[in-house]
Amino acid sequence: MEYLASDRIAIIDLASGEVNEEPYPDGLCQEKIGGAGVNLALYQQHQDGEPIVLGAGLFTGSMVPGSDLGVVTAKSPLTGTVCHAPLTQYAGMELKYSGFDYIVIKGAAASPKYLWVHDGIADLEDAADLWGQDVWAACEAVRANMGDELIQVLGAGPAAEQGSDLAALMINYWPSGDRFGLGRALAAKNLKLIALRGLGLLEIAEPEDFAAQCLELLGAVKGGAWAGKKGLADLAAGLGQQALADWLAPLVHRHRASFNTPFAANTFLFLEADPSQLSEPPAPEPGVLVGDLAALAGLQGLGLSAAEAGQVLGQCAHLGLDPAGVAAAAAAAGVKDAAGLMAGLATIKGPVPGLSGPLAPAAPAGALFGLAQSADPAWRARRQALAYLFGLDPLFMLMAPELSEEKLLELVGLGIGLEIGPEALDAAVAGIG
Amino acid sequence: MQARQAYGEQAQEQAAPRPAARGPRLGVYCGAGSSHSWLWLADTCEALGLGDLRFLEAGEVASGGLSGLDALAVSGGDTFAMAGALGPAGAAALRRFIAGGGLYLGFCAGAYLLLRSSKEPLNLFNLVEATIANLSRRLPQPLIMPEKFATPYGCDYVFHPVREALILRGQGGPLGEGEFSAPLYGGPAMQPAGPGVEVLATYQDFSQATRFLAPRELAAQTLLGRAAVLRGRLGAGVMYLFGPHCEHPRFAQANRRLAAILAEHTPSQALAPDGRGLAELGPAQARRLLSEVRRQVSNSRIVALALEDHPARWRMGGKVYEPAKLRVFLEALWSRTGALERARRLLVPAGAAELPALLAGVTESIRALRRELEEGQETTERAAGLFKDLRRAAALYLNMYFATAAAGALRPGRARRLH
Repeated sequence: MEYLASDRIAIIDLASGEVNEEPYPDGLCQEKIGGAGVNLALYQQHQDGEPIVLGAGLFTGSMVPGSDLGVVTAKSPLTGTVCHAPLTQYAGMELKYSGFDYIVIKGAAASPKYLWVHDGIADLEDAADLWGQDVWAACEAVRANMGDELIQVLGAGPAAEQGSDLAALMINYWPSGDRFGLGRALAAKNLKLIALRGLGLLEIAEPEDFAAQCLELLGAVKGGAWAGKKGLADLAAGLGQQALADWLAPLVHRHRASFNTPFAANTFLFLEADPSQLSEPPAPEPGVLVGDLAALAGLQGLGLSAAEAGQVLGQCAHLGLDPAGVAAAAAAAGVKDAAGLMAGLATIKGPVPGLSGPLAPAAPAGALFGLAQSADPAWRARRQALAYLFGLDPLFMLMAPELSEEKLLELVGLGIGLEIGPEALDAAVAGIG
Repeated sequence: MQARQAYGEQAQEQAAPRPAARGPRLGVYCGAGSSHSWLWLADTCEALGLGDLRFLEAGEVASGGLSGLDALAVSGGDTFAMAGALGPAGAAALRRFIAGGGLYLGFCAGAYLLLRSSKEPLNLFNLVEATIANLSRRLPQPLIMPEKFATPYGCDYVFHPVREALILRGQGGPLGEGEFSAPLYGGPAMQPAGPGVEVLATYQDFSQATRFLAPRELAAQTLLGRAAVLRGRLGAGVMYLFGPHCEHPRFAQANRRLAAILAEHTPSQALAPDGRGLAELGPAQARRLLSEVRRQVSNSRIVALALEDHPARWRMGGKVYEPAKLRVFLEALWSRTGALERARRLLVPAGAAELPALLAGVTESIRALRRELEEGQETTERAAGLFKDLRRAAALYLNMYFATAAAGALRPGRARRLH
């Protein structure tokens, strides 16, 4: 594919250590769009190797508002079915610029490895020293070794190495939004982490028109019902969960948006001191980043204070656990206090409720910021599928109906010079269904 | 058109060089004392359709490397270090080359090198009867960039009152009579001091982009109206000395004038055979070599970019280097990787096999440099070694690239470049 793509697919066989490249097949984009659609096709093509497939959406890393999403597709150790987990923050963007549009990782390595993907090169490196390290230490070690803090690290923590059901795929220091236990799937391949960095370029078919259309869309979405809002407390309030917002508010320190996403959906809680002081301590990531309202709501439901919840979330981040899954498992086990929960984190197990389809839920049910259609399950499901095909933030897609299907198809024409009609889009949506 | 959508970087299309167009066979000095500006010559000549370039170390200049060349270009750097590296043998070879009909193009340090001087080792050269006009015994306080302000020159200082783009006025000859702009990065204003030296362009005015290191009036007194481009003759050869960097690829008007000079000196005879003993690699060997080059240049670029905003400065001889210079070398390689990977065949000069190991060492060295800077260690020695290795790697790579291009083996297509 000539535009908005590197036109390369990496096939990595961990068992043999071989790294091969394939061109992006002609016609695949028109049929599958991108992201989860192409990931699934590649998964099926290589399914004998129990692959984990990483892929960028059609617009990932572009000027289209909300273009932060990459997708990981694999069989979930939790559900036993193929799932698509989100790569938000800056990981999806970095994947897009890594020199590969899709990365298929199949087989299992005989000894711990990590994968270093950079500028169209995929290197399998020894990870003996990283195995057993917590998520933070492993991320910092790889960044220090390569000499760049902007490297995006998709990792498995100690929980994954020990086979926890709740071991999530992590992005750098924090949970990714994976609810399917893909950290465990990674560790089962003896793959500790995947480090991504690329200084590549993307070409655009009609760059001036594409940029103008994106800027127009940006102006339109920023006038949405959530204008002036930011962070998880505002999001909770926007869902009508004012009590959750009030519970959280005293600990809110700052917010962080994912790549090119106008709503900052990630909030740092500051536990060490009064967050209203605003000055940042010298630690590289002061506080605890929370991007998952379901996790917060679950921990609040256990009767924890917000500060206790923050400590649990911090520990989950180090161990590589899905905090929403932890909260659900703790509730199922009748855990009611923070000390008990923290003590049992290393061995916690439990089925995660609420995984009814192949996509991780982006937000609890309900109307977002008074947007009636966002309460409609069918509309939500369609918007989530579009997000995973086009590489757009799943939560933002629920908040920004201005990113209409008509506009997205128009941008396909301007961005990659291909005509994709509504019927083909319907088929692609159904394909990841 | 291309667009980089993250980090605010811009891209520029670069056409593959036209194969084997008969222009002058141009040697480019990349040896000791040279900074990074010789890489601009690669870009500019390529854009002008001149694909027959070779990159020479000081020892090669002194030991027969000028044989078979039509022209030699020497760009910026530390003039004293260049002169020292070339030494008496290099000076003699250069004199023979020019007297025998060769074309010499000197930019900035390459211009100072041939001007009249009594200072050792510059006095080995003295090929153009003209002197440095931007000399001062007493210096004012620099307004900005003190490290770029002056260079000791005996009891005096070579004084650099401005940097960046200036307006020049052609005085006839191949440069014409109109105005054009070119950037000044420490190059000379010159004063003819003997017969046969022609002023081809003068410093006419400052531009909006000019940065003043000294008060504007003093800068005007030092530069305006003085010679910016000179032409001298020696035997059958011609020497063009440029104070500003007319070879800088972002200055199209200046580049066109450079092209006019090269066109005037295009020999009519057929190309002599390339005497460097180029070898053609088999497809598997070529793939392995280029894959390893891509791997290591990528690793180096990533850490070099991470280092780019570091305030470190390294003084090496008369020049001050900053971390951003590292990536200038790496981009010269990176921007051509795609074209070489698509080439029909790959021609390599002697020494190309050492490229992967050399580049792997560069990667490790930049990573170590970053660690040492974070730990507050002294890094000048490491940086000096690193820039030396980068120069060597870039020369090996560009020799491979231009040899392949001159053989007509590059396929048409887009290459990608970051600025």
